[in-house]
Amino acid sequence: MAIEKMALVNIIGRFEDLDETLLRCCDSGCFHLEPAFKNEQNSTVKLLNEKNPFGVPLKEFASLATEMDIGLKETPGTQFRGWTAERFNELSDKINSEIDVKSNEKQQLAKEVSDLEAAVLQVNHLRGMNSDFSKIFACKHTACRVGRMPADNLAKLQYYDQTFFFVPFETTKDFCWGMYFCANSDKELVDSIFRSMFFERIHIPDYVTGNTDEALKKLDVQINDKKKRIEVLGKEIAELAKKHENTIQEAYTALKKRYDIFELRRKVGAVKEKFYIKGFVPKKESEKFAGLFGDMEEVEVVLLPPDADAYVTPPTVLKNGWFTKPFGMLVEMYGLPKYGGFNPTAFVAITYTILFGIMFGDLGQGLLLFLAGFFVSKKIDKRAGGMVSRVGLSSMIFGTLYGSVFGFEELLDPVYESMGIDFLPLKVFKQSTFILLTAVGIGIFLIVTSMLINIYIGFKEKNYEKAIFGCNGIAGLIFYASVCAGVVCTMMLDMDIMSVPFKIFLIVIPLICIFCRVPFSIAMKYKKWKLSEDEEDMTIGGFIVENFFEMFEFLLSYVSNTMSFLRVGGFVLSHAGMMMVVMTLMDMTASAGKPVTLIIGNLFVMAMEGMIVAIQIIRLEFYEVFSRFYESDGKAFEPLSVSFDTEINV
Amino acid sequence: MMENTSSNATTAKIRAKYAQLFTPDDYREMAALRTVPEIADYIARSARFKEAFSEVDPNTIHRGFMEELLYRENFETYIRLCKFQGLDKQPFFGFLIRRSEIDCILSIINRINSSLDRAYLSDLPGYLIKYLDIPVMELSMSQTYDELVSGLKGTRYHRVLKKVPVRDDGMADYTECELALRTDYYAELLEQADKGFMGGVSDELRTMILREIDCRNIINAYRMKAYFGYTPDEIKRRSLKFYGIGKRQMERLYEAEDAAVMMDMVNHTIYGKNSPDTDNIEVEINSVKIRRLRHYITGSTHAPVAVYAFLQLCDIDVSNIVHIIEGIRYGVEAAAIEAQLITL
Repeated sequence: MAIEKMALVNIIGRFEDLDETLLRCCDSGCFHLEPAFKNEQNSTVKLLNEKNPFGVPLKEFASLATEMDIGLKETPGTQFRGWTAERFNELSDKINSEIDVKSNEKQQLAKEVSDLEAAVLQVNHLRGMNSDFSKIFACKHTACRVGRMPADNLAKLQYYDQTFFFVPFETTKDFCWGMYFCANSDKELVDSIFRSMFFERIHIPDYVTGNTDEALKKLDVQINDKKKRIEVLGKEIAELAKKHENTIQEAYTALKKRYDIFELRRKVGAVKEKFYIKGFVPKKESEKFAGLFGDMEEVEVVLLPPDADAYVTPPTVLKNGWFTKPFGMLVEMYGLPKYGGFNPTAFVAITYTILFGIMFGDLGQGLLLFLAGFFVSKKIDKRAGGMVSRVGLSSMIFGTLYGSVFGFEELLDPVYESMGIDFLPLKVFKQSTFILLTAVGIGIFLIVTSMLINIYIGFKEKNYEKAIFGCNGIAGLIFYASVCAGVVCTMMLDMDIMSVPFKIFLIVIPLICIFCRVPFSIAMKYKKWKLSEDEEDMTIGGFIVENFFEMFEFLLSYVSNTMSFLRVGGFVLSHAGMMMVVMTLMDMTASAGKPVTLIIGNLFVMAMEGMIVAIQIIRLEFYEVFSRFYESDGKAFEPLSVSFDTEINV
Repeated sequence: MMENTSSNATTAKIRAKYAQLFTPDDYREMAALRTVPEIADYIARSARFKEAFSEVDPNTIHRGFMEELLYRENFETYIRLCKFQGLDKQPFFGFLIRRSEIDCILSIINRINSSLDRAYLSDLPGYLIKYLDIPVMELSMSQTYDELVSGLKGTRYHRVLKKVPVRDDGMADYTECELALRTDYYAELLEQADKGFMGGVSDELRTMILREIDCRNIINAYRMKAYFGYTPDEIKRRSLKFYGIGKRQMERLYEAEDAAVMMDMVNHTIYGKNSPDTDNIEVEINSVKIRRLRHYITGSTHAPVAVYAFLQLCDIDVSNIVHIIEGIRYGVEAAAIEAQLITL
């Protein structure tokens, strides 16, 4: 249960081999790429920032697919291996030339249909007019304009002296459709008046003739004809699409990969005629990875220790066993440990599983959770499913101890009686004090364990403040354990252990150590006396004030973190209480409805309480446990890969 | 005296509508657009103007009509808010109609003074016609000031405008008319705020109206001082005689040596900002005003206060959009347009 060992990899080769090298890095599935340079200006390594030549053909093939109505999907193939961007361009031009004529004609027709439909829309608003359009527009001495104006402005028309008349046809919420007539000689003036009232003129196309009804009929015929032709063209294009579909799919897939690989060049460095790639691979796969480039004579792969380059930090891969693996999800959610740090997954897996079982103990519901987890791990998400099935198993074990099966609290009593075990099953409501005290006990145990882990990590890192003097170090552990022991012995066991030496050596001195943890650790590490490591001018007063408040926070956190575990006991009671409600409801319903009530009640409790319990334990792990020892300053291991995607951002 | 808890629904409605006003980020996006159709399309997709622009084609809409639609939406928002809980039965809530009437009358006077009689007819916002209590269409036909004043007989504007001296050429001074009409408007509004509502509502309304007048007076005084070189007495005479920050303090501003000194003094009043930009006094003063109006909307539970504050914010919102449209039309850079906007 540790962290995977890494190896630093430097790959150097000629530019001709760069794409192939990157491709093999991707295909290896275990190479984490790092930028080849830290500061470009001060380095002999230069950034590769060329224009991606595969962008244009990629776009071309995507538009070809759209034109031919081909849904792009990943289609691996070998026919385009080693093709240059120019060859892809030639291929797209060739396919394009075949469909270009038909496609252009289809587009042109679609535009014409759209224009005709717009004309229909306009003419529809003029339905009140029964005269022939062409005759009206042919008048010699009268000017006429068709259009619409804001309905608000209609009232103004009567206040103008000029000779014109407006014939309204249709009025909508905002506009009045109609036409106005005036003498040809007054045309400019009247036009300007209407323009000032925001009259929007509509130009009736020349092909609209006859009165409105006739015009609409003619337009309808034209639209139908054109739509039929579009349909025919669509079929012809579909046939062409069928012919070229496989080529387009394969070309697009190959191009996308080449494009993405070319994009990876941004992290690749250039030194004169050679490229320089830097990254990490898991140590156990390093030899196999290096072997991938065995046939490339000009490409050299150098494997180094992970800390060989001070500018790059190795990524973290959690190494977990089959039981703990799914719980890595929770650790990742909080943040990964740094490379070489402490992997808390096993600790989380064990505590999470046990706490869940305690808080959600039911043999029947646990079994369902186990089965659901099994299903989820097979069909949806392996890790989430794995977690659910493990906690389901734990729920079954504790459910057996509680004697609870789908809320039936007495079902297992005969079994225990026949086995002669009289202290089981635990009757939750009768032993509630015991359950709550046990919960606090579990809390104390977990907090002490967290402190022990912290001490171990502190010594490993040679951080004496953390290991010895900190609130989670030896001083904190002695203080916390002593106070807990003192309280338990005095209040529960009637033993007076809080003697003066006990108080001085196990409570006061650890508290002083915590208060002075910074100067003490500096003294131990550097053999000199200093109040602060960072602040040169820290005064005694400032030191006391700062540490007084910090001490206050530490002491408060000991109490609050311990009490926080009461929720473990609380949920045991709450689960039993909710199932009791389900049972009561079942008793109240008619016999035919009883199974339904039982099923719905159980499902409801499982869904609601299961989620609450899961979240509460995450909270306990993250706040009460992780905060005592865990630092999530690692970076994730992201193996180089290219993924198929139909969205192009070229 | 009608203020009661039932108008809480109006304040809640206003808060919901307040969320539909454009934000500085929206303005930034709009200012970055290149053409008027683009901005029309942007506005047509906004929650606030979606309905008003539903029948409009953004590609063909006339810029003037688009602006009219924006102002119409503001006016209709006002009408809807007032009708929502029957607030329009209280005289105070006629404030926007009265202000629109005054704007119409002033436009007509301006046209008469410029010998552009009748031209107002086409510029008259059509949506106002049915709401105004004055015969605005007939008035727009007036060719002289006397004709206009006699056309207003039976309205309170007749009494006010009759007192404005008519010059030998038969015209009246526009600023005199404006001063008289606005003085009468604010006097009536303050009286309605005092008599129509009780306690906190009345106080909040009074403060808000007086501060609005202060802003107007400060902006006008600054312009008179900076661009026309008016004397303090002239400025005093041409300003509204209502004071939010007190008569003495306002008069001290009028008496400032020059515009820069005045701006420095304004900076030490409640209308000042930390870094005043005297290049655009309107933006500066109004951006302070916005903060106060927002405070009223989020904090006040009184419908009259919320309605009055919200409509001022709506006005500022539309004036910002109009600035952006103008800027885009004349190819002004986005940053320069943004500098002209009234935001926090």
